[in-house]
Amino acid sequence: MNVPSDLAGDWWQPFSTQDDVAVMHADLARDAANEQHAWAWLDASERHRAGRFRHDGARRRYVLCRGALRSLLCNALSCRNRQLALCAAEHGKPFATVDGKRAAIGFNVSHSGSHGLIALAPEGQVGIDVEERVPRRNLGLLAEAVLGPNEQAEVMAASGAEQLHLFLDLWTMKEALTKAHGMGLSMDASAFEIPPPLRRGSSRSEVFRFPDMPEVTWQLRNIGTDRFAAALAHTSDARCW
Amino acid sequence: MSTTEERIRALIDDNLEIEGRPAGQPLNLEGSIVDAGLSSTDIVAFWQLVCEEFSVDIPAEDFAELLTTSDLIAHLEANAG
Repeated sequence: MNVPSDLAGDWWQPFSTQDDVAVMHADLARDAANEQHAWAWLDASERHRAGRFRHDGARRRYVLCRGALRSLLCNALSCRNRQLALCAAEHGKPFATVDGKRAAIGFNVSHSGSHGLIALAPEGQVGIDVEERVPRRNLGLLAEAVLGPNEQAEVMAASGAEQLHLFLDLWTMKEALTKAHGMGLSMDASAFEIPPPLRRGSSRSEVFRFPDMPEVTWQLRNIGTDRFAAALAHTSDARCW
Repeated sequence: MSTTEERIRALIDDNLEIEGRPAGQPLNLEGSIVDAGLSSTDIVAFWQLVCEEFSVDIPAEDFAELLTTSDLIAHLEANAG
């Protein structure tokens, strides 16, 4: 299987490659031609799902990300779109099947505002998260809900844009980890802390272990930019497949 | 005294926005919270606001299972002290 790290589409392009994990950036801005093209990739259940969104922006982001994901997976798995099905495990973690057989490829999708990120790994578990760097309401509540004590202290000691920047970096790293793990929002993210070098910004990539799963190592990367916070988590440990 | 539904409506109207518009307009009790287009930060903030408003502790895993506003109201009414 080839991870299509050099593959660009009408509304997505390669963003980064970390080891063997390829990350694509999708432009989710309003564009009728792209949305029509993406819609053509969706199967009946995905079109039904798109129709349930009550806000146009949410629907557009779903359709554009799903269309790009299907195109990328078909290329990576050398299959036709009609052979590909996207399913969800417990807690919503997605996986792909080709002609009903589960594919080994790991993938994950996140979007925020006009930015979508799609991560593809030839095997293992991968999680990705992106958040636009725009002010959030209820930042204090969010910090209490998802940060550990040291992380909370560091965020509360900061102010203004620096506080928002740090919080979103921590948020995306935690969400990438919980998505890679498979629990997503069902996991108590305040029960673990991001390694200090990543919190301080002195490193962009560190090994991470969940407290209740110390035998499995995850590679955690901050892949954010000035425009958006973003993080990628991945393990090739067969015990997580 | 406000009903559980009225308090939930107020929390949504006062605190949640999608692209500058109130997330709950119109509030569809049977619609999925995710289908409203809320981001993950909005969903977690909403969870915290509900816990504060109703003085309850809903574990993250339980909240994630409450797919609709109607589910949430039923859970709160069933677990009211």
